[in-house]
Amino acid sequence: MPHQEALTVISRIKPGQVQTVKGILGTIADHGDGWEIVPFAKLPNVHFARFVVFDATADLDGNPIPAQLALMTNVDAPLDAHLRDLATTCGSGLDTVFEHCEHYPDPAGRTPAARQSFLRQHHTAASAFYVNRQGRTVQQILREEQLRRAINDHLDSVDFFGQSAEMVRGRIVAFVAGRTDLRWALYPPKQPSLMWRITEVVNLIGYALLAIVLLPVLLLLSPALILLLRAHERQDIPDTSAAPAETVRRLREDEDYRVQNQVTAAGLFKPGWFRFLLAIAILRLTDYAVRHIYNRGSLSGLSSIHFARWVPLDGRRRLFFSSNYDGSLESYMDDFIDKAAWGLNAIFSSGDGFPQTCFLFCGGITDEKAYKRFLPTRQVQTSVWYSAYPHLTTKNVANNAAIRRGLSGHMNADETRTWLRRFGVGNQLPESGLIARLLDRIRWDRLCRCR
Amino acid sequence: MPLQVEDIQGILLYGYGQLRHACFLLLGIIDGDAAKAWLGTLDIRNADFKPDEIHRCVNIAFTSAGLRRLGLSDEMVDEFSTEFREGMAGTEHRQRILGDTGESSPDKWRWGGPRNAEPHVLLMLYGRDEATLSVLLSEQRLRLASFGLQLIEQLDTSWLLHDKEHFGFRDGVSQTGIEGVHTRTSRGNTIPAGEFVLGYPNAYGQYTQRPLVSRDQDPGELLPQAPDDQRRHDLGMNGSYLVFRQLSQDVATFWQYCDEKTRRRDGAPNPEGRVRLASKMVGRWPSGTPLVRSPEKDDPAFTSDNEFLYYGSGDAHGLKCPIGAHIRRTNPRDSLEPDPGSDRSIEVGKRHRIIRRGRVYGTPVANSMEVTDIVAAGDVAGERGLHFLCFNTHIGRQFEFIQRTWVNNPGFDGLYDDDDPLIGDRGSGHGKTGGTFTIQADPIRTRVTGMPRFVQVRGAAYFFLPGLRALRFLVSVGR
Repeated sequence: MPHQEALTVISRIKPGQVQTVKGILGTIADHGDGWEIVPFAKLPNVHFARFVVFDATADLDGNPIPAQLALMTNVDAPLDAHLRDLATTCGSGLDTVFEHCEHYPDPAGRTPAARQSFLRQHHTAASAFYVNRQGRTVQQILREEQLRRAINDHLDSVDFFGQSAEMVRGRIVAFVAGRTDLRWALYPPKQPSLMWRITEVVNLIGYALLAIVLLPVLLLLSPALILLLRAHERQDIPDTSAAPAETVRRLREDEDYRVQNQVTAAGLFKPGWFRFLLAIAILRLTDYAVRHIYNRGSLSGLSSIHFARWVPLDGRRRLFFSSNYDGSLESYMDDFIDKAAWGLNAIFSSGDGFPQTCFLFCGGITDEKAYKRFLPTRQVQTSVWYSAYPHLTTKNVANNAAIRRGLSGHMNADETRTWLRRFGVGNQLPESGLIARLLDRIRWDRLCRCR
Repeated sequence: MPLQVEDIQGILLYGYGQLRHACFLLLGIIDGDAAKAWLGTLDIRNADFKPDEIHRCVNIAFTSAGLRRLGLSDEMVDEFSTEFREGMAGTEHRQRILGDTGESSPDKWRWGGPRNAEPHVLLMLYGRDEATLSVLLSEQRLRLASFGLQLIEQLDTSWLLHDKEHFGFRDGVSQTGIEGVHTRTSRGNTIPAGEFVLGYPNAYGQYTQRPLVSRDQDPGELLPQAPDDQRRHDLGMNGSYLVFRQLSQDVATFWQYCDEKTRRRDGAPNPEGRVRLASKMVGRWPSGTPLVRSPEKDDPAFTSDNEFLYYGSGDAHGLKCPIGAHIRRTNPRDSLEPDPGSDRSIEVGKRHRIIRRGRVYGTPVANSMEVTDIVAAGDVAGERGLHFLCFNTHIGRQFEFIQRTWVNNPGFDGLYDDDDPLIGDRGSGHGKTGGTFTIQADPIRTRVTGMPRFVQVRGAAYFFLPGLRALRFLVSVGR
């Protein structure tokens, strides 16, 4: 099974054509059950996709930043195959949208190859990319949901009263074995490619070694760095303005049609080399943490994110964040505050106007009023949004995978009982790794004494 | 900071359990000045009283349109929360998250919807007995016209035997306690005052957003100083947001459904199974006894028990009280992330609580309120249900969060297609699933599907319940 990748194609919109592009894209609220122009549903490897228009703006020095169009997808590897799919199956749709962007091939030259090279040239790698759980393909997720539904319907028709857990499991396995359309589930899914796994291990060890080498230097410098950080934090000016009520209402109208939602937000980096280097370092650490530490479906108890990415924009003057998650934006913001504030503070405090932080990890997001006022001022409307499985939560996906795995192999009595419970509710997530558990035990809110 | 009980309206801190007779009047303001004169004459009950000493009382709240009618400037109204200003029927998004769609959509409401006269004032009247209430009611009604007020709707209430609601279950057993006020609730159930009373620290230890006015806007110095803003006066202090929903209950359909799903193989009814299924849906037996305490049968020893957890009381997996049961969804106690079963889980849950102050309305299908009689009565004419009232200071993080993230969410806590079996919206026709109820069990779960919607919304609005000084400020505005 392949691993998952993030494609981010960003291109400048031709002068004066922003409204045309927005008109073509429409809004999530308009699209109802689908958007025909770029039919993502026809691409079997796309988990999520979106189109976002970043309006023209200016940086902190007043230099203009032109309007840009971004296409983002979360796909099963390899990325090349996805680019090919996009350029062929969705070719004419891409033309319709991107012909209003600079450097898109002329009408005569719009071949699949030309489209692919446009996509590749305008792709920006994410600084950090979060995947709830690597290695689950779209087709696996869809088939495992079909499997769970079939077993559940079957269970409704059988009376298991008085039977032992082992007997019930045996009958479920027999049911699946008897269905030609489900028999695939008796075998565990393939792992991601060996090549990818080796890359991950090399990344894991490489950066760990680098950290060990750098540690003495960092420790030596840490008093100075902390003083520098506090000096910068004291000079930060949080943006206390609120987004216009109409803007907020428009964003809300695109939300809560299904159990899943999306958010896109963009902001300028704070000025100065210290903040910039810190931001780069934190994003590196974030990428490392989500790849190797928080990679079992839970970010410090925050388990509702399917995919998220942080991507630099405009020659690293700006950063944007986009996420596909379960539940409402209100519950998402509350999750940020309640569960993962320290990490998110470290990342987002590099953004201009962010609520006041202290010692990088504290304050910030934990000021509920300030944070909930701030986010809509940096939110960007997502025009088109696609999910291949909009009715499934991250927990549903994980539970379905565990149901499938439990159809094969040996289980003791306890494991069997636990597995059977998965047909009643899927809220048991795998335990986090050791380092994640240690990090989760820190009460950051009590650690910092600010002011 | 101790609560200023003499400045807080009584209904916010107490449910007036001794005053069993209540009536709610929805009023429209025709003439703002006359209405202000009327406000000046009202004797509004504060929260500083001994329950035995009062026989009747009046409390009052306003919609955002009502505040404008009283002459509050746009600038001041903008200080109130977005949810309150937009109103319960204000946006399609809100209808989606609250489940106010189909038969429950605001277009079909009897009050509070776009087709109804706009309510401005909610007058809450309480009396110890029927005669006291009826005197109070006629006094109030007689004066309305002369003060430029129009009666939009009179919402009567009833009190059912054994404190039950119409389906036949004891209601109001679990009541949220406020720190410093309710000393008899358990620690896990006692919430910082700022979650319910504006102007005090909330469950984050912060001050919730609320209307503050500049000193110039309060020349009479009627309002207290805002504790978190030296330059401004606090119009919100000692007030709260009141959520009012008239919820009609389809008692016959509820019990027919439970009956159909529990019939024996030969088609004979199964009275025990029926009550058991309904109790699993609620999370308590009809007597009020929680399933966590007594999973197999009703036990009269625990009818008022609220001192339980889920993980902490040996029910992590929902084998006693199902994960999707009404009381487990609306108050998950220690069962959600982060770290279910921990104090941290309880602390996070405290950011999503409400205080309920509702009253039943309509005649019961059986006066005894015993399930057997309710089932035997079948489809009895007339409408019945609950005037659901609750208080919170952050509507989005409290009432609306509960409704969206817990009640109407088919993916709640790892479920797939289950919304709240009692009050869920069954997917609201937005592509969400719903209408399935799963009962976790060993060796394997059972479930029922195709559940219709049992509770519909007939009218609703968000109100602001001011403190008494704030009320005097409202009377003085623009005069």
